[in-house]
Amino acid sequence: MSAGQLDTLGQEGLLSLYPERTRISVGMATCGLATGAQAVYDRLSQEIERTGCDVVLSKTGCLGFCQKEPIIDLFIPGKPRLTFVEMSPESAVEFIGAIAAGRVPTDGLLCRHDQELLLDDVFRDYCSEGEELTGVPLYTDVPFFAKQMKIALRNCGLVDPGSIEEYVARSGYSALHTVLSGTSPAELIEEVKLSGLRGRGGGGFPTGLKWEFTRRTEAEDRFIVCNADEGDPGAYMDRSILEGDPHSVIEGMIIGGYAIGASTGFIYCRTEYPLAIQRLEVALEQARLHGFLGDDIFGSGFSFDIRIREGSGAFVCGEETSLMHSIEGVSPEPGNRPPFPSESGLWEKPTNINNVETWSNIPPIALKGGKWYSAIGTEKSKGTKVFSLVGKVTNTGLVEVPMGITLREIIYDIGGGIPDDREFKAVQTGGPSGGCIPASLLDLPVDYERLAEAGSIMGSGGMVVMDEDTCIVDIAKYFLEFTNDESCGKCTSCRDGSDLMLAILTRITSGEGRPEDIDFLLELGEAVMDASQCGLGQTLPNPVLSTIKYFRDEYSAHIERAECPAHVCKPLIVYRIDPEACTGCTLCARNCSMSAIRGEPRKLHVIDTGRCTKCGVCYDVCKFNAVILE
Amino acid sequence: MSRTPEEIVRASLEKHGSGREAVMEILTDVNRELGCIPEEAIIATASAVGVSNAEIYSVVSFYSFFSIKPRGRHIVRLCSTISCVMSGSAEVLEAVRDDLGIREGETTSDGRITLETTSCIGLCDQAPAMLVNDEPHTRLTPETARAIIAGLE
Repeated sequence: MSAGQLDTLGQEGLLSLYPERTRISVGMATCGLATGAQAVYDRLSQEIERTGCDVVLSKTGCLGFCQKEPIIDLFIPGKPRLTFVEMSPESAVEFIGAIAAGRVPTDGLLCRHDQELLLDDVFRDYCSEGEELTGVPLYTDVPFFAKQMKIALRNCGLVDPGSIEEYVARSGYSALHTVLSGTSPAELIEEVKLSGLRGRGGGGFPTGLKWEFTRRTEAEDRFIVCNADEGDPGAYMDRSILEGDPHSVIEGMIIGGYAIGASTGFIYCRTEYPLAIQRLEVALEQARLHGFLGDDIFGSGFSFDIRIREGSGAFVCGEETSLMHSIEGVSPEPGNRPPFPSESGLWEKPTNINNVETWSNIPPIALKGGKWYSAIGTEKSKGTKVFSLVGKVTNTGLVEVPMGITLREIIYDIGGGIPDDREFKAVQTGGPSGGCIPASLLDLPVDYERLAEAGSIMGSGGMVVMDEDTCIVDIAKYFLEFTNDESCGKCTSCRDGSDLMLAILTRITSGEGRPEDIDFLLELGEAVMDASQCGLGQTLPNPVLSTIKYFRDEYSAHIERAECPAHVCKPLIVYRIDPEACTGCTLCARNCSMSAIRGEPRKLHVIDTGRCTKCGVCYDVCKFNAVILE
Repeated sequence: MSRTPEEIVRASLEKHGSGREAVMEILTDVNRELGCIPEEAIIATASAVGVSNAEIYSVVSFYSFFSIKPRGRHIVRLCSTISCVMSGSAEVLEAVRDDLGIREGETTSDGRITLETTSCIGLCDQAPAMLVNDEPHTRLTPETARAIIAGLE
């Protein structure tokens, strides 16, 4: 591969992104496929053939607005790029019908893009004069997208993840070319340090520093690893990047390999992500074919290749020492640190591990410079972060925002607030190592330091929003169940400590809590943190500690008054029929599978609490709001 | 005629070599083809790599996607993670259990379906979700989940 060949490849990519004909691209990441994107794609294809209209059909990854999948984009030469949401095979027929008739389809039209950005630069101006379709909202005015800034997700939802040409057209592999054409590894490491990039997997360790440590360790060979064992509940950023833009991770790793002096890289991806693995395999093959991987890359003398390793359903393998044991084929219990992987990692060689999102940030930093990247974000947390916004929030999806944005902006401006007129209660960040942040801290700027001060962590980027119907003790119990299940059992503190904490939480949610339980949980939590070897044990008490910190009243209500304020914990709730509101319509009695409701037609009904299993069916079916939850 | 566990291990060794680092790949190959990792495969892998059976067993038993017991033709993995729980995965699980007459970790007597719950599968935006073999299904209700499972042969 030479500079000229790279240029030719990019030209081919531009032609495939912007042919001189109409093009339709269908979002076909897992989120799209799960909602029927394949059926939409097939129907579009049939209709194009049937009507004989001159349209190119292609595939892309996820645009981020997963709630609105299936999403498709329409590119008509000279007109804005148009994004359509919630498509179906039926609407696909009308869609092609409109195009065949020379009209712009309108059903499902979300927004228009007048221009395409690549990092800060204009990549494409879409409109010829008079073709602006000004009645359609602009992409940048859609609240879900307005406050986002896409660096890691720069290509997701635009390029075909199966096309190296389209990736190259979006300046792909030019960072690698620039680096290998005269930047020394030391200069490159300085640039990454200058960028302020910190590990996006959760730890937040400065990436450039980690690279430097690994580079400095004397060794004949070194390894780099991409940690794609994304396992935090509520987090799927890495899956989306791998499915939508696998080359961005591969290019980042090659650049990292050069900086660190490694000849082999491993991508450790969880088996739960079959599509991500498949797309990575295709992308790696293409990168080898074009000489971005292999011997003497760009004639620089630098040789590098990447292999995929599959995890097989063990959360703890996301922990780096455990992950390396898994790659080595030994039982993947975590090991001691120090020595850190930068000194002694895979097969005792210096090893640098970064997560998917970190790697995908590397090409833009190498291309535009560390200073450019460090201009974004807060004092100690630079750049952007991708979050998966899930739970009780109107717009679920993947959002990439500059560090320093407030939780309120993410949850209300981007996420559209809480559905069904419910009140916000808390947001859980950082998965099972993180904590719950209450409404009083909604104006907290999101960065590594602020989240830690609030008793949570940045984590890998899962953001689970909870409303007033969520019981906070139940949530803490959920996370303990998770870590208790995933604990490898090596350390007594983690294994037995999580057992004991879970038993106490179960007791509290069953209405059998004891007055001393809260203080004992706090004490036990500290002990588990102090005495456990790896990150899993050291952080597993966080969800309990942070919820006690902010919601101690709710714990007390369970223990002292045997009440669950959110009406979630079944042993603590009672269903009752309001005599004023009951019309005797018999609907509840007819729907009760336990025959626990008695009453004559047009007379008051009564629930036999002895037989009631608290399934809530009567509550759901009553049309007069006569069933009360206490 | 399907291959024996020993044959799969032998073929996998040719692809991945007999180094210790090939263990996961061999086991993944066996698990993918047979739906489980039978004792014969553990013994064959251990002797090829030159470690004890117990060491290979410790690797196999660590991962939730590996199983020593034979499993059904289809593996249904219902996500039991927080965002799925908040969206009603418990009701879905109950419906599936009732329909199949089995609990998590069990296989129907006709060998058709194994039911499991799993940690997060990264489909939180469209909870509740499950994987049927490799295929994701999202926004489940008790009714849609029953229908999907009824459609498995």
